Amino acid sequence: MSERTRNLLSITAIVLLTVILVVVVASSPTEADRVEHLGTQIKCPVCQGESIANSPAPMARDMMALVSERVAEGASDTEIIDELLSAYSGAVLLDPPASGATLVLWVAPLVALATGASIIVWWRRHPGSDASPEAEPQSRSRSRTLVGGLVLAGAFAVVVIVAGFFLQDREGPAAGVANLEGQDLSEVSNETLEAVVAANLDDPQISGMRLALAERYYEIGDYSSAFPHYLAVAEAAGASNPEVVTALVRLGWMAWDGNGEVETAIGLFDQALIIDSDSTTAMFLKGQVLWCGAGERNAAADLFSDVLADPELSEDSKALVGSSFEAVTRGEPCA
Amino acid sequence: MLAFLGTAGLVAALTGASLLVWRGIAASRSDARADLVGPANLMLVGSVVAMGAMEIALLTDNFSLAYVANHHASTTPFPFDVATAWAALEGSILLWGLVLAVFTWAVARRYGRSPDQLGAGALAVIGGVGIFFFGLMLTVANPFEVCVEAAQNRCLTSSAWPFAAVDAPLEGPGPNPLLQNHLMMAIHPPLLYIGYVGLAVPFAYAISALALKVPGPEWLRRSHRSTVVAWSFLTLGIVLGGWWAYEVLSWGGYWAWDPVENASLMPWLVATAFLHSAIVQQRRNMLQAWNFVLVISAFSLTILGTFLTRSGTINSVHSFTQSAIGPALLGFLVLVLVGSFTLFSTRAHLVASSQRIESFVSREGTFLINNLLLSVYAFVVLIGTTYPLILEAFTGTQVGVGEPFFNRLAVPLSFLLLLVMGFGPVTPWGSADVGIIWKRTRTPLILGLSAGLVTAFTVTRIGWVILAITLGTFVTGAIVGLLLEQTGRRMSKLEVGRWEATKDLVVGDAPFWAGQLSHIGVVLIAVGIAFSANLGAHVEVEMTPGESVEFAGFTITYESPFQEQHPNKTTRGARLSVNRGARFITTMTPAANFFGDSAGISTPDVLNRPDGDLYATVVDFDSESATLAFDTSPLIGLLWLGGVTAAAGGFASIAVRKRERKAGQERQKADV
Amino acid sequence: MSGRWLRWAGLGIALGTVVLAVVLASRFGGDPALVDSPLIGQPAPAFDLTTLDGGDEVALEDLRGDIVVINFFASWCLQCRAEHADLVASSDAFGEDDVTFVQIGYQESPSESLRYLEQAGTSQWTKYLADPGSRTAIAYGVFGIPETFFIDPDGVVVGKIIGESDAFTLGATIDAIKRGERPGQAVTGDTQQAPDR
Repeated sequence: MSERTRNLLSITAIVLLTVILVVVVASSPTEADRVEHLGTQIKCPVCQGESIANSPAPMARDMMALVSERVAEGASDTEIIDELLSAYSGAVLLDPPASGATLVLWVAPLVALATGASIIVWWRRHPGSDASPEAEPQSRSRSRTLVGGLVLAGAFAVVVIVAGFFLQDREGPAAGVANLEGQDLSEVSNETLEAVVAANLDDPQISGMRLALAERYYEIGDYSSAFPHYLAVAEAAGASNPEVVTALVRLGWMAWDGNGEVETAIGLFDQALIIDSDSTTAMFLKGQVLWCGAGERNAAADLFSDVLADPELSEDSKALVGSSFEAVTRGEPCA
Repeated sequence: MLAFLGTAGLVAALTGASLLVWRGIAASRSDARADLVGPANLMLVGSVVAMGAMEIALLTDNFSLAYVANHHASTTPFPFDVATAWAALEGSILLWGLVLAVFTWAVARRYGRSPDQLGAGALAVIGGVGIFFFGLMLTVANPFEVCVEAAQNRCLTSSAWPFAAVDAPLEGPGPNPLLQNHLMMAIHPPLLYIGYVGLAVPFAYAISALALKVPGPEWLRRSHRSTVVAWSFLTLGIVLGGWWAYEVLSWGGYWAWDPVENASLMPWLVATAFLHSAIVQQRRNMLQAWNFVLVISAFSLTILGTFLTRSGTINSVHSFTQSAIGPALLGFLVLVLVGSFTLFSTRAHLVASSQRIESFVSREGTFLINNLLLSVYAFVVLIGTTYPLILEAFTGTQVGVGEPFFNRLAVPLSFLLLLVMGFGPVTPWGSADVGIIWKRTRTPLILGLSAGLVTAFTVTRIGWVILAITLGTFVTGAIVGLLLEQTGRRMSKLEVGRWEATKDLVVGDAPFWAGQLSHIGVVLIAVGIAFSANLGAHVEVEMTPGESVEFAGFTITYESPFQEQHPNKTTRGARLSVNRGARFITTMTPAANFFGDSAGISTPDVLNRPDGDLYATVVDFDSESATLAFDTSPLIGLLWLGGVTAAAGGFASIAVRKRERKAGQERQKADV
Repeated sequence: MSGRWLRWAGLGIALGTVVLAVVLASRFGGDPALVDSPLIGQPAPAFDLTTLDGGDEVALEDLRGDIVVINFFASWCLQCRAEHADLVASSDAFGEDDVTFVQIGYQESPSESLRYLEQAGTSQWTKYLADPGSRTAIAYGVFGIPETFFIDPDGVVVGKIIGESDAFTLGATIDAIKRGERPGQAVTGDTQQAPDR
């Protein structure tokens, strides 16, 4: 067989075979399982990069069941993907959409291929000057190199700074569960404080929060809500002395003011004074109760004068205690 | 004691590396010959001592080392306790350092007798890399920290001072269970690391050549062996990593385009391009700029990969825990890339090749196309992996980029590469006569198309599978055809038999034919992937004990369930007997962990057979029945075989000793 | 010519590297798995679920007008166990207000969740619901548990806590919503995606 015949036969064979092959392949029915296909585009949110079609994780299977159902209901691919996007955001997709921010990903590879190919072709067509060691400018003066280096470093620094401006911070995990101390409680509701207290009964530092809560109830006159908290603070092992004293004093006043129990109130004030003998509040309130409840004016007057003797007493307090003192010594009825 | 030994080893290695840099730079600028072998030996001894100390600590359950206390358990079985040395962050850097030291020692052995400025420069650069890694280990990633405050089974506080007062826990948590159930854990990382680190050698030579203004193929020639060794191990490491994932993880997949997997693929792609492109420069002194860019990129990509795994910036199956090492690695990466490319630009005139490609229809032309395709491939993987990070950094929008994206581009690129693989080796050097190419490819083309048609009518009509068979047959046919053509010529010229002629030919041009072996390996991989990915069958059934199901020619019977109780979980599995017709084949025992009645990770069972694997997974367990999933992966064995073959070709290309090759070449005349 | 071109190409790559490095550096310290919920500011996905004991049916619609706190939990989730007492306490504290707590079992059978609640305690004001097929979890874009969503009286999702919550955060968020604010998304820690992960 001559070379020429061989060539002709070969070309014919190749062309024929290719055509047949292409026809055969193209005509094969592509049974695209739509659910499967969709599934390969959706990332399993509890796995490491697997699609919900390929992952055996229960969550993935549940999501596939959802996709199946939607397909059976007649939803379009876009609708199903959108439904998941609205719940999970774009991070749940494995295939970046060919639009918007991810259009780049579709275009860049083609651009790269085209650019590379054209550079190669162009480079071959325009060889340029023959590069040889002699062609290099003979001696770069040291200062030129130095300047060049500095300019380069400067350019890099500029790039870094500019890029830095445009960058968004990524959220890191916050510093754990909120610290109870040092929180600004002014905007926190009573319910929140109740919840915090209830959830942290074992925490020795909870007394501060309890007290704050109790004070709120006290201030609006809700003695019954305030009572258990004051009691808990007074009995708490971890409460500080000032906290215990405040609690006891309030308890005492509530016992008198709310229930008229003189003995109990006095007892509580005494307990407070054992812990802090200088507590002017305890002394004053004890005096009030003695005066108004027990009628013991002298004891009350003594207490009031002790309070007035305190050099750190504020002007308002002085006025208040002073007037009480005046009233009790003059034998007036209690106010 | 061990902490001291280990730290001392690291210090010695660092000293060795520093000396290499110091003396290397000095020697590269003068005519004197410096002692660089000494520092290289010091670096090697130091790292061997350090790794030895770590292994001794692991094998003797010495929990005074924080690393051991945090990652090892005395109950860990034998090969896995050795592998614990590289199972966690600091240990993996220790392995890196050791491999680097071995390569450095090998390079130092070739440091020339006469003033060898190129070699000295290369050793200085490698020393620089060594300074970074050993420095890392002596600062932020210290594997020899001593435990000074222990918790029950781990270490709370550790100190870098080897003589600190030890408070060691009695036991450790042991390595992650996923890392304990397959021998591959012991093998895959070292193989990969040899691949990664080995690329530092051609990189070092390249930088040395650029810095010293020594263009030409010298640096390529001297680093060639290391490049091939690195490439071969990298190939093996990646393929075996895929095999490990396939056997162990329940999704029956060997590649997921996971960011860290991509981080190993990118250097491989670029290294492959470099390997090929280097041939052109060595033969025809062309593509020099390409080679510099490729080798710098390859090495940088390995550093990028190391960074991505350890920095906590990317979510991945492979992630080590985050630590201060991230910024250090990033800084090193920037230094390498910016430094190298700046150096490259200052030597631009030199680097621009003196030789131009005369015609694209030539061996050089096909290599150029090869370079382009592989570079675009690597670029695609790079942007797919990093774009989500970049987009989120600038706009806060989160996008996912996964398998569909990568497959869409990787598959066509791979097929294009297969096509070039067929034409390339049969295209002569220099402006080639199209006629010769035509003569060498027409029959393989016909064979390939015929094979494709046969497949279409007998197996499947899925386009990808047919394309794989067609191109695979074409490539193989072209190789065989070339072999026949050239042995035929020898036979008539030298009047020897076919076998004699073949031996002569192959040995005479071993690198070429070993490369063809690697190409065959790639063909096998392509066919394996095409078949297993497209022709796998899947079924999910709910079975009660005693029930059987027919699937893919197997009869699978659910014999009985089994259960293992652990303190916090129950492992429940199904005992299955697999028959083919009447013949019993094996028992399979897929299982899954259950926490209460919630399913956790499942461990599948795989039956490996030459024509494809059978995969059994437990999906769910009921009181009476089990839901099981079965999959087949046809011809998946070809993947692993192909990978090993490709790597073998790499090893073979440097195995044939110079003397034999010269002898072969003597007899090789007028071969095109 | 080509030499000059190579020079600029080299410098260009170096510059590009620096930008990439800055981008990568900015990602330090963050959680790579963290995703911003697209639901904030959107109408809350509806659900109509049965309670764990099968007794009652609760639809989100029925709760319109209340602030609704939806928490996804499971017995195998460690952080969920840690925050459970706080959820109970908060629900009790806000019980009589127009605040309703809803806890939905995630990837767990109702009986298993019930068993856990019997031992961990419940609030009489909280609705404990089962989510068969995880439809509600999917609709809310749950990546892992615990995740807690806050819905204002108009039915719009205004807050989300990813990770373990506590009484103070829960309460403060509710207080903020009552004031008309939109707290947005907060991360307090890790979530668990599966029993052993």
